[in-house]
Amino acid sequence: MLKIENLHVRVEDEEREILRGIDLEVGAGEVHAIMGPNGSGKSTLSYILAGRDGYEITDGSVTYNGEDLLDMEPDERAASGVFLAFQYPIEIPGVATMQFLKVALSSQRKARGEGELSTPDFMRLVRGKAEQLKVNQDMLKRPVNVGFSGGEKKRAEILQMAVLEPSLCVLDETDSGLDIDALRIVADGVNALRSPDRAMVVITHYQRLLEYIVPDHVHVLSRGRIVRSGGKELALELEKDGYAAYEEQAA
Amino acid sequence: MADVETIERVREIDVDKYKYGFETEIESDFAPKGLSEEVIRFISGKKEEPEWMLTMRLDAYRRWLDMEEPTWAKVDYPKIDFNDIYYYAAPKGQDGPKSLDEVDPELLKTYEKLGIPLKEQEILAGVRKQGEPSTLDEEGGGEYASGKVAVDAVFDSVSVVTTFKEELAKAGVIFCSISEAIREHPELVQKYLFSVVPQGDNYYAALNSAVFSDGSFVYVPEGVRCPMELSTYFRINAENTGQFERTLIIADKGSYVSYLEGCTAPMRDENQLHAAVVELIALDDAEIKYSTVQNWYPGDADGKGGIYNFVTKRADCRGANSKVSWTQVETGSAITWKYPSCILRGDNSRGEFYSIAISNGRQQVDSGTKMIHLGQNTSSRIISKGIAAGYSDNTYRGLVSAHRKATHARNFTQCDSLLIGDKCGAHTVPYIEAKTSTAHFEHEATTSKISDDQMFYCQARGLNEEEAVALIVNGFVRDVIQQLPMEFMAETQRLIGISLEGSVG
Amino acid sequence: MAIEKTTAETAYLEAFGAGRAGALAPHRRTAFERFAESGLPHRRLEDWKWTDLRRVLAKPYPPLVERPAPSAEVAGLVARSPFGEIARARLVFADGWYVEDASSMPVSSGVDVTAMTAVQGAAVEVSPREDDPLDQLNIAYASDGAVIRVQEGANTDIPIELIFVTTGAHEATHTLRNVIEVADGASATIIETHIGAEGACVANTVMEIRLGRDARLDRIKLQHDGPSTVHLSNLLVTLGEQAVLNDFTLTAGGEVTRNQGFITFAGEHARANVSGAYLLDGKQHADTRLVVDHAVPNCVSRELFKCVMDDEARGIFQGKVIVRQDAQKTDGKQSSHALLLTENAEFDAKPELEIYADDVVCGHGATSGELDENLVFYLRSRGIPEARAKAMLIAAFAAEAFDSIENEAIRNVFNALAHDWLDESTGHSAHGASE
Repeated sequence: MLKIENLHVRVEDEEREILRGIDLEVGAGEVHAIMGPNGSGKSTLSYILAGRDGYEITDGSVTYNGEDLLDMEPDERAASGVFLAFQYPIEIPGVATMQFLKVALSSQRKARGEGELSTPDFMRLVRGKAEQLKVNQDMLKRPVNVGFSGGEKKRAEILQMAVLEPSLCVLDETDSGLDIDALRIVADGVNALRSPDRAMVVITHYQRLLEYIVPDHVHVLSRGRIVRSGGKELALELEKDGYAAYEEQAA
Repeated sequence: MADVETIERVREIDVDKYKYGFETEIESDFAPKGLSEEVIRFISGKKEEPEWMLTMRLDAYRRWLDMEEPTWAKVDYPKIDFNDIYYYAAPKGQDGPKSLDEVDPELLKTYEKLGIPLKEQEILAGVRKQGEPSTLDEEGGGEYASGKVAVDAVFDSVSVVTTFKEELAKAGVIFCSISEAIREHPELVQKYLFSVVPQGDNYYAALNSAVFSDGSFVYVPEGVRCPMELSTYFRINAENTGQFERTLIIADKGSYVSYLEGCTAPMRDENQLHAAVVELIALDDAEIKYSTVQNWYPGDADGKGGIYNFVTKRADCRGANSKVSWTQVETGSAITWKYPSCILRGDNSRGEFYSIAISNGRQQVDSGTKMIHLGQNTSSRIISKGIAAGYSDNTYRGLVSAHRKATHARNFTQCDSLLIGDKCGAHTVPYIEAKTSTAHFEHEATTSKISDDQMFYCQARGLNEEEAVALIVNGFVRDVIQQLPMEFMAETQRLIGISLEGSVG
Repeated sequence: MAIEKTTAETAYLEAFGAGRAGALAPHRRTAFERFAESGLPHRRLEDWKWTDLRRVLAKPYPPLVERPAPSAEVAGLVARSPFGEIARARLVFADGWYVEDASSMPVSSGVDVTAMTAVQGAAVEVSPREDDPLDQLNIAYASDGAVIRVQEGANTDIPIELIFVTTGAHEATHTLRNVIEVADGASATIIETHIGAEGACVANTVMEIRLGRDARLDRIKLQHDGPSTVHLSNLLVTLGEQAVLNDFTLTAGGEVTRNQGFITFAGEHARANVSGAYLLDGKQHADTRLVVDHAVPNCVSRELFKCVMDDEARGIFQGKVIVRQDAQKTDGKQSSHALLLTENAEFDAKPELEIYADDVVCGHGATSGELDENLVFYLRSRGIPEARAKAMLIAAFAAEAFDSIENEAIRNVFNALAHDWLDESTGHSAHGASE
């Protein structure tokens, strides 16, 4: 589904490369965890997949379902099923969460040539998902992420994911800032979305999240490279030994 | 869902974004070109006005001759040749309002095209169907769930039709053209006309007082809650013609009325002048809600053509506990010069001003409000949202003052500006004058842009650039949109998308 | 349409040639002609709508043509400077002329100080502000001033105090133009003290300040002019790259005060903090007009004014932040707050934003009101008498502006001044409240 080959990236107008040759293949139905210390390039990778400005791709390619992902605008990527759950969700004053979701879903459906969802159907859809994620109705009326607590923001991200039903979910540090109860709710939400035709890339610093979202593959990212890949047991090993050994290896 | 509609509307439009730019082919009667006592007598004669009205007009004209065009606003335009304008133009055979079946079918078609319902069984185009429940907009909205709107349609210099007059009359509400009111209700007109905006108030008000040709008149008697939304649609059609309408609304003790006006004009290369005066009078415990969606032709991308909109709007909260609320959505006009104001004379009276001013292309907006606190315990609230794009300049100019005797006056002002692109300007010029210590004034202003993060976040959820801008701007102006009658909310959100078309990328 | 000249204007026009400061000679004629054309600024000029100098100067105040005879009063007035306890160098100007005997020059290396009269020709760069009538008047008639240059990398070690005294002996306009240059990497602390006796006069003082790259200036001004003084001042500052300006002004004296500030960012990543306070009573009138011009990107400006008005005093704050088209990433904030202690006090404000760049964060806030009765009650419920409670709250209100003064000893002087003022003034307000 997703194929990253020899991806080199630097921040525009800066010399230093942040990603220095990433190779990664994610198949439908698979959950990949990408772990790494701060500054290893994890968030950059997520932004590159979602199409954020400000980065220069100096080499390599990313294909998604056989298409050149890097050639697509952020909204085209979203419409084709790529979803990034932001580490720091953005506040949009005055735009109610419900309204935002409706516009996003309509735009995506339209781009895919699908019919408009009727308003009652949409409301039912959102309310149902919200209930599962313990997102209360009041939050849906509030402006997108404005005044939300850290946990509320993360739950709102997962709610968006549940409503938009993407085929590739990229979760950037979704566990940061969550207490154990909130983490469980978020993880349950994510797990409910696991399916044979949906892939997930879970980016995290800590192994903790992976106790709840059990990955099929774990990759260690250090200094812009994947330095080791393995099964879910790799996460436990990292938890025990830390990243120090890999940092030397990548240097 | 209004935003979705905004977006769809933006998509539908390609070259010609101003959808009201057509011209109606209709023969018109004109006054001789230019301004003189003769022209004023001509207009007064056409209206079959009593002598006192003509005297007032001529007085205003003489004052105007001695006045100079104001230059303090942050707008720049070539000097207007006031003798190169027709001050009166009316569709042939249409010197005043008629019953619907007598109105020229061309005119009916025009209003149909503009989406304005002149048949009483119709409701405003572009809004939800009569009786259809609101879905997502869980916040408040319109007062009148029926969706019924009475319309006074003003075409160039004359009112062509006023709807629902009989139904309103049953409630005691007078809703007619000002020309008709001068003839039919002279006692009310003489008592209140010029009592808020005198003939010599300012340059454009004096000009209007001399040549005003039509406009709306509303009187809501004591204790009456006007049973439906009242509205006036102003349409400039004829070439080289100015529109000078005069509106007078009186809410007698304990009454309530909500009134809205809309304005459009054809696309022309020359500039056309619109100099209106609106006077509102609220007596004890009365409330007037006045909403405007101003969508005059703004000129083309290079600043050619467009309406010069020089308007004096003022409310006198004359009675104790009276309340006036101005809501304006300004998207059109090449130049906007407009400061809807409240004189808070009655004790405990309240004034509100909610404004969205969007400028794009080469538009210049200088708009704001004045809240003059004279009575005790008066309060006012100002929420202004300015959005500048393209090469436009967008200025908020406002005054909040409390006189010595206005003890315990209160004001809260919030002025926010949003810039889209780096070729436009957004300016804030508030004046605050507190002449008593018990007045409590708070003023806040911010200027910012749509952040890259917000844009990216929206795009990552599937919105394209223009959709994202429309959505974020609609959020930015939400506080004001909520003040509009529900009939106008959706239309306004659409208009915002259209006005900002081409502002990104 | 020509407006008839007032007697004050005529007196100025007739006195041309009175200006003595040599370095200003090349600019004097032009400035005079501009002034002759514009006359005194009046209320029909937007920037002067609340302070009409044609009316304020109701009689002539011709400039002195010659240095006045030494006055015995000067020493006493200088001694009234509240900064006496602070180690500092001191330059004294009396009725518009430098008084060498009363001064003590700084000794720091790399700090050059001279009187304007001692500078010849173009040895000092002078940049008149051509669009400002006050500045024209200053250039045309400046009799003297200080020229302070802090050389590259140097600093003033101890503050330099400029003391401007007016003896009230001359019904005249005393005009001074000072130039302060802080070169690249240099820093300076300048205290500006205005002290006046009774007796009507006009003081017109300009500070022309240029800050080089990485330069820093702390300027602290105390205006304690006499009760019949018309105090006119102009602060003209240009900031170089990464320069920092910390500026504070307390206006407590004078009958009518007009303070102007024109702050221009000429280099990126510079920062200006401009703050001030008013402590006004009687029929005092003070008007501050401050224009901060972000001409280049990435600069930060902060303005904070706290205005306390008692009796029938009138305070005015007009602040304008301009962000030019290129000045992206500007961060400009401005706030003015007024506390009116009596019903007849007055505050007017015009906080303006003029913005042509989109990637900016700018804002302003303005409030006006009386003391919060809830707070007064809270303090009283804790056993603090009403007058004391009010004085505490007023002092706390003004102190927010003093907080911008980094030098603690100097800041303490202002706190003490505020308390002194309140001791005199809360007499009225406590009395007023019991009426």
